Amino acid sequence: MSLDVRTETAVPAQRSRPDARSQRELRRRERRFQHRDKWWGYALIAPAGLGLAVFYLWPVVQTLYYSFTEWGAFGGTTWIGLSNYRTLVGDPEFWHSLGNTGIYTGLVLLGIPLSMALAVLLNLKGLRGTGIYRTLYFLPVVTMPAAVAVVWRWLYNGDAGILNHALSLIGIDGVYWVSDPHTIRFAVAVVGVWMTVGYNMILLLAGLQSIPGDYYEAASLDGAGRVRQFFSITLPLLSPTLFFTTVLSVIQSLQVFDLVYLIIGANTQNALQNPAYSEGQTVVMLFFQKAFFDNQRGYGAAIVCVLFVLIMALTAVQFRLQKRWVHYA
Amino acid sequence: MRETNREGRLWPAHILLSLGAVITVFPLLWEVLTSFKSFSESVQVPPTILPAHWDWSNYSKVFDGIPFAQQFMNTVVMALLRTAAQLLLCSMAAYAFARIRFPGRGAIFLGFLAVLMVPGQLFLLPQYQIMQDLGWLDSMQALVVPGMFSAFGTFLLRQFFMGLPEELEEAARLDGASPFTVFWRIALPLARPGLLALGILTFLWSWNDLMWPLIVNTDPAKMPLSAGLASLQGAHLTEYPVLMAGSLLATLPVIVVFVAMQRQFIQGIAFSGMKG
Amino acid sequence: MRRRSLLATAAATLAAGPFASGCSPSSSPSASAGSGSRRGRLTYGVWDVYQVPAMERAAREFERTRPGVTVDVQLTPNGTYWTKLRTACTGGVAPDVFWMNGPNFGLYAEAGQLLPLETEGSDAVLRPADFPPDLVSLYRWKGTQYGAPKDFDTVALWFNKEIFDRAKVDYPDSTWTWQTLINNAQRLTDRKRGIYGVGAPVRAQENYYNSIPQAGGWVLSEDKKRSGYSDEHTREGLQLWIDLIHRYRASPSLQQMADTDPTQMFQSGTLAMTYEASYNAATFYADPELRAKVDVAPMPKGRRRATVLHGLANVVYARTPHPELAREFVRFLGGERASLLQGKYGTAIPARNGTATPWAAGMPRFDLQVHLDALDYAVPYPTSANTAAWAHKEQMWLAKAWSGDDSLKGATGSLTDAMNQLLAQEREGRS
Repeated sequence: MSLDVRTETAVPAQRSRPDARSQRELRRRERRFQHRDKWWGYALIAPAGLGLAVFYLWPVVQTLYYSFTEWGAFGGTTWIGLSNYRTLVGDPEFWHSLGNTGIYTGLVLLGIPLSMALAVLLNLKGLRGTGIYRTLYFLPVVTMPAAVAVVWRWLYNGDAGILNHALSLIGIDGVYWVSDPHTIRFAVAVVGVWMTVGYNMILLLAGLQSIPGDYYEAASLDGAGRVRQFFSITLPLLSPTLFFTTVLSVIQSLQVFDLVYLIIGANTQNALQNPAYSEGQTVVMLFFQKAFFDNQRGYGAAIVCVLFVLIMALTAVQFRLQKRWVHYA
Repeated sequence: MRETNREGRLWPAHILLSLGAVITVFPLLWEVLTSFKSFSESVQVPPTILPAHWDWSNYSKVFDGIPFAQQFMNTVVMALLRTAAQLLLCSMAAYAFARIRFPGRGAIFLGFLAVLMVPGQLFLLPQYQIMQDLGWLDSMQALVVPGMFSAFGTFLLRQFFMGLPEELEEAARLDGASPFTVFWRIALPLARPGLLALGILTFLWSWNDLMWPLIVNTDPAKMPLSAGLASLQGAHLTEYPVLMAGSLLATLPVIVVFVAMQRQFIQGIAFSGMKG
Repeated sequence: MRRRSLLATAAATLAAGPFASGCSPSSSPSASAGSGSRRGRLTYGVWDVYQVPAMERAAREFERTRPGVTVDVQLTPNGTYWTKLRTACTGGVAPDVFWMNGPNFGLYAEAGQLLPLETEGSDAVLRPADFPPDLVSLYRWKGTQYGAPKDFDTVALWFNKEIFDRAKVDYPDSTWTWQTLINNAQRLTDRKRGIYGVGAPVRAQENYYNSIPQAGGWVLSEDKKRSGYSDEHTREGLQLWIDLIHRYRASPSLQQMADTDPTQMFQSGTLAMTYEASYNAATFYADPELRAKVDVAPMPKGRRRATVLHGLANVVYARTPHPELAREFVRFLGGERASLLQGKYGTAIPARNGTATPWAAGMPRFDLQVHLDALDYAVPYPTSANTAAWAHKEQMWLAKAWSGDDSLKGATGSLTDAMNQLLAQEREGRS
């Protein structure tokens, strides 16, 4: 955190002058200390870079190639050009799963304000037991997804689940949460939020703790109330962390697989009898189905490639938009 | 703000936080209770909340069904080696991205980021192929090596280095230290909190990694716990209580790690500032 | 004789030497030159943890008869078994001998991943006459035998005596027809208590693969070129289940069964009857409470009596470095001794004729003869070169008919088209 943050946030009104700010930022960036021995750069990057290239990037390149082929179950490829992509454009199952994934991502993003609220509460000065709270909220992050999914399936069970039992106490008839096409996406998203809220909370809490306390003191001397302090100090200073969590949440939610897969019961032999299956199926689930079970590996490759491009594009858009709301030190 | 912070006025916060904590922990409590039920009780409709009688046999079934001690050790070794390697390799690359100017830096960094955007299931088969070509199937190397490289870790630490004050490094550089010396002697010690954060996250994720170990290793003596527990499930029947007992046993150590390190962990992330 | 075999052993060891330590497969003819006296380490891939004890036991017995041979039983849980196996086959490092099932067999056989097994002469790995013919043919591909039947499962009607007694309904027996099933399922249903007469899920092996032939319909033509889902009789076999849910209201809804598997409902006493394959008998028997409460009867008759017959097979990997030894092991596994052993452990019914009795005798409180007698009216399990692809479509479309999202006619029409298209692709060699 450098000096200009301090002056900026102490006088929140200045936030409305982005031009002056970004120019100063630019000058500061030019001043930034940088080594000029480029060979050291390559040398330091080489170990991680080569490993990533061999184990991760090369498979991505291969997949791109395979997406233009008919790929036999045991190897052997035939070039078929854009055929897989043409099939994909006309495949309602793909579009549907893309829609499902989008809705899931949107819903999981709603968990970020929740994480933020928790982080703000945990950051209250003088609050005791923060260590216990932090641990409790973080527990879902460390538990094994296989067990988590089984437990949630029980909680959601339409006939015998605790959730419906609780609802019946207040006179509400529950539904079959994970096998009703109308509720499956929400049911899964709730678990998604449950699993990530602790992780995001920790990140945001860390962000909050790096905000110097004197900003708030200065602001309250100026007569700013708590709400104004939140919007004029906390939110802007937390925006880089918020940005980071949002970008990563979007990337991870768009790739959601095992959680939904297990909750919908896709690991069982008769997964497809779940009437909510097609409403719950995500893009990566579809890829998994095509590549590992239906033996349409080339087509599966095309599905992942499209998802990859979409994630890239969305992330790029977010980086573009960050200039509008993210305030860097 | 500070003057309103006396403990007595914080009870609304405690109520909200406790309520949230109860909701968060409830599914896990269910996991614990189930691990003490008999199989037939676990599938009973309507379900019982407390076990009819506390049955420890599910835990002994875990110990009987898999070489628990061996797999526990495998998991520890795998998680530690992956973590150590990532800390070293990611910090080197991250420092270069943050502080060294060289042609192609942006493009290479983009390549790193691209890895983050591909679903992990995609890597299973190609990586298996590589392991096989290396003759590493069914070995500890196979568990460790692909997990040594991380785009996420590089990204996280790059953010971290960019947030560090530059003056110290600049001074050392003017004294004629090589970039590596500056990195090793000055930047890396300053980055300790960030390294800790990455270390804990990598450790947690390695601990629960399931698919890859199952695919690449077959010998139960060379599997980590996560994969060993998965093989306890029958083709036509899942003994839920055993699954719960096993997953609790496996999770316990990471919870301990988290509890022990959480304070430093949070400081670590706080320090990185998460800059774009 | 003894000296000869020692020499042969030495020669084989030398020949195999450079390969034995590495993973590189060798299908050198030298390995098959000697007979009956080979050394080496065989790997045996299986997926069911509950059958591991029986498989281990068989492996030890085999080792005893073949000094210098070790067999490594490798368990991969069902969820990853096929993913891993396919990857390993592509890379040439699959287990020497491994389990195969009907739906996956065509894919492996067509791609040349399996070694042919002799069925005649002194080298015969299996003699077809020793096994039920439909099981032998399940693992024959284009005239060549690739799999030796390991076990089989038939389907029967399992029922909860307690619920029957309470509703004062006579237990099911061989006189039951579909109509008896429907009538009694309605009588047994007690919605207030959450009890249903019979489960009607979208399950192939346990449910509609039985009712379809019972109604005189068919799933797949014998030449594996056409789907049978537009046949009126086939549709009748499906209509039974849909009616049990919607018209007679004697089955839980599809949503209920997706939430709680019907087998699990049966175990917890909320389902009076369920169609189950024989592999669940051991599970039911293991629970002392359930053991006292449930029993089994033949499936009710439709136009005729029928059960779908499925079973696993042991197959040999085409690129195994020990083809002869692997064949010997498969022969041993299909032999009388290993079969009886398998039956004694109770999880699966051994496929070899005349070895099934210990399986039934091991669970005397159940009338398991029903499952064995079902062989007399068994029909083969429908499979083709890429069964998984159309089986996926099958479940998808049928689920729509079950839930009422689509009419049975509409759903089966779409299914027929999709299936025929996939079958045509198979023939073009695109899988």
